[in-house]
Amino acid sequence: MKMIVCVKQTPSTNQVQLDPETHTIIRDGRQSTVNPFDTYALEEAVRLKERLGGQITVMSMGIPAAARLLREAISQGADRGLLLSDRAFAGADTLATSYTLALGARQIGEFDLILCGKMAIDGDTAQIGPELAEHLGIPHISNVQEILECSERELLCRKRTDYGTQILRMKLPGLITVDKGINEPRMASIAGVRTSLQAPLDCLDAAQTGADPARIGLKGSPTQVVRTFAPERRGQCVRLPNDEDQAAQALLALVREKQGGREKGEDA
Amino acid sequence: MERDLIRPMGEEYQEYLRDESRSAGWAESISFPRTAEEVAAVLRRMSAQGTPVVFQGGRTGLAAGASPRGGHIMNLSRMDRVLGCRRQGEDFYFTLQPGLTLAALRKMIAGKSFQTQGWSAQSLEAYAAFCRAPEQFFTPDPTETSAALGGMASCNASGARSFYYGSVRRYISALQIVLADGDSLRLRRGERFAQGRQGLLTTEGGRQIAVPIPGYRMPAAKNASGYYAEDDMDLIDLFIGGDGTLGAITELEIRLVPLPSAVWGAALFFDQEEKALRCVRLLRGEGEQGRALNLRPAAVEFFNGDALRILRRQRQAGGVFAQIRPIPEQYETAIYAELHSETEEDAVARLLGLGRAMELAGGREQDSWVARSQAELDQMMFFRHAVPESVNMLIDRRKQKDPTITKLGTDMSAPDWALEEIKAVYRRDLEEQRLESAVWGHIGNNHLHVNILPRDAEDYRKGQALYGRWAQAVAQMGGAVSAEHGVGKLKAGFLRTMYGDQAVRQMRRLKKAFDPQFLLNRGNLFEPEENQ
Repeated sequence: MKMIVCVKQTPSTNQVQLDPETHTIIRDGRQSTVNPFDTYALEEAVRLKERLGGQITVMSMGIPAAARLLREAISQGADRGLLLSDRAFAGADTLATSYTLALGARQIGEFDLILCGKMAIDGDTAQIGPELAEHLGIPHISNVQEILECSERELLCRKRTDYGTQILRMKLPGLITVDKGINEPRMASIAGVRTSLQAPLDCLDAAQTGADPARIGLKGSPTQVVRTFAPERRGQCVRLPNDEDQAAQALLALVREKQGGREKGEDA
Repeated sequence: MERDLIRPMGEEYQEYLRDESRSAGWAESISFPRTAEEVAAVLRRMSAQGTPVVFQGGRTGLAAGASPRGGHIMNLSRMDRVLGCRRQGEDFYFTLQPGLTLAALRKMIAGKSFQTQGWSAQSLEAYAAFCRAPEQFFTPDPTETSAALGGMASCNASGARSFYYGSVRRYISALQIVLADGDSLRLRRGERFAQGRQGLLTTEGGRQIAVPIPGYRMPAAKNASGYYAEDDMDLIDLFIGGDGTLGAITELEIRLVPLPSAVWGAALFFDQEEKALRCVRLLRGEGEQGRALNLRPAAVEFFNGDALRILRRQRQAGGVFAQIRPIPEQYETAIYAELHSETEEDAVARLLGLGRAMELAGGREQDSWVARSQAELDQMMFFRHAVPESVNMLIDRRKQKDPTITKLGTDMSAPDWALEEIKAVYRRDLEEQRLESAVWGHIGNNHLHVNILPRDAEDYRKGQALYGRWAQAVAQMGGAVSAEHGVGKLKAGFLRTMYGDQAVRQMRRLKKAFDPQFLLNRGNLFEPEENQ
């Protein structure tokens, strides 16, 4: 069974820190991590490999530093890595990204199954998996929660939809995106880390993938992110004193203040 | 002012009669001061009346240091503000009130989200620099993060990472102490030293206090047992690990350190405990092979087979513990090592070194779990914390059948040479007495929490006897009867075993210099003098 697992590099924290003076996001080079949903895809692939034999190639489009994440995936059971990295890929939306990944998948050669996480925790689009399948002209099932049967020819799986559960059979080669909870991703062992350091890891640039320059990166992206910002906190928490009397007085003062404000507002 | 602060003990304050040691006391009144001035006012009044006072923070202590024995409870949990920031070179310091919890502090540090209202211009300037600086952290990491900083200072708290970074003592640079009579002391590290074993301090009220420092030698082991005492010592150290017996800590200045760019953890499993102990020595850099590996872990923790069996049972029982990863049956012992590195390359090299240490100790490097991302580290933390949590749940179930049963957990450390010896003593005694137990803890410092799990009152009695015997054994080896929880009231007898009667007399003399009526935290460290 030949499998490809797609992984994305995402920030390791969801806690955004803002500089109190400049109000800009503080970036101090803390580690990024594999998109958590992709770790379920990898684990599912490793389990299939353990059952059916085969090979797993883990693939990512990203900056050269993303090679670290591919090695991490190898330490958890993948066999080799492919990194698609080129300045020309930068600024890609989901269409350009999935096109690029499709080129990568073709470079890998024959495959039976591609596994992706349901979505990435930073972009939240959940589009890459299905779009990649379309570029490759293969069927896909998104949101898979359990693989019931699998061979090199077909796959039977369960997915939850908004209206219930579907049991679906798909001819391979095909693509699935997996939901969290499908499995419990393993941690690498030290032996796995040692293996990963020597494992084959290829890196291809835009020219090597044979990409059409008009379909990659910013140029190939019909959609653009206009602005990124941390959501403003609308609710405000006021801490009242622990002492009951003082708390009651403070609360009364707050209510009066709000009332006063509203009355003034009404006057105006 | 103090009249309003001091309230008679009513039903609503019952929870303040106990702490996490689960031993309950009694008291006549309680106060919740918010400032050092309020603390001083209450203490002046108690002093005038001759009323004993016990100080409380998060009440998370395991040695009953915060449970009252009559008199007044002064609960400092409402003194939870951060008062300012200071920068010295590349180091950042924060001044805090003692009731601030470790969890709240960590959140503010990680999120760079301190409340800065009322800070001086200088503080604000330092804080702006802190916000721009690389991420920082406060290294002491006791398991219970609802612990208050004042309490942590009073028992010289530690945690897993103190193996590399040391206990909280090293990270406290200044203290404000309010004394029993309401006068106060301000101490900054590096400013007031003893001459030999004699110190002299001047209070803010202008009174001079001659400080007779006890003559004992502290153990060459991780230690939170009794007053810090050393020739020419910095006098601030008397109040850190002083179990709140000399005065109330009303302000602390703590020092942060830069957070390493790679924090990795690894659980190393072995099929035999002996192999794990061999691995610990290699991790510590002992012997030619250990020195060559040069691993310098931040933490070296241990879980014995009983602890792993409890985890497996909890996992099967389901609930929140179903998240524990499956632990293969052949794993008999686990070591957790944490690596703090400045570069990824160094982290990788040292991780492979851990694997090499496993193999040299007779293990296999595939029998390990590596945590590199925050999510994986969180899982590892869950695994480590699930052990004490599971044991507490087990004891609570048994307690329902027999209310006299409580957990017996030790906190003793031995010197490095005695690692295998102390482990063998524990094992032999537990087997001889046929007691159920689980052992885990900070094995890097030969500091294991042996937890006896009594099935009935008879087991409990046998366990208590063992506990006393181990205190003697550890003392003879040159270890400490409390390595991180403090002595409180529960281990006062062990402290006497460790240092002897003369040392207890000297400790009393020291207390008397600051608290002549023996009012503060009475019963902590030693019983009040018989004639008091």
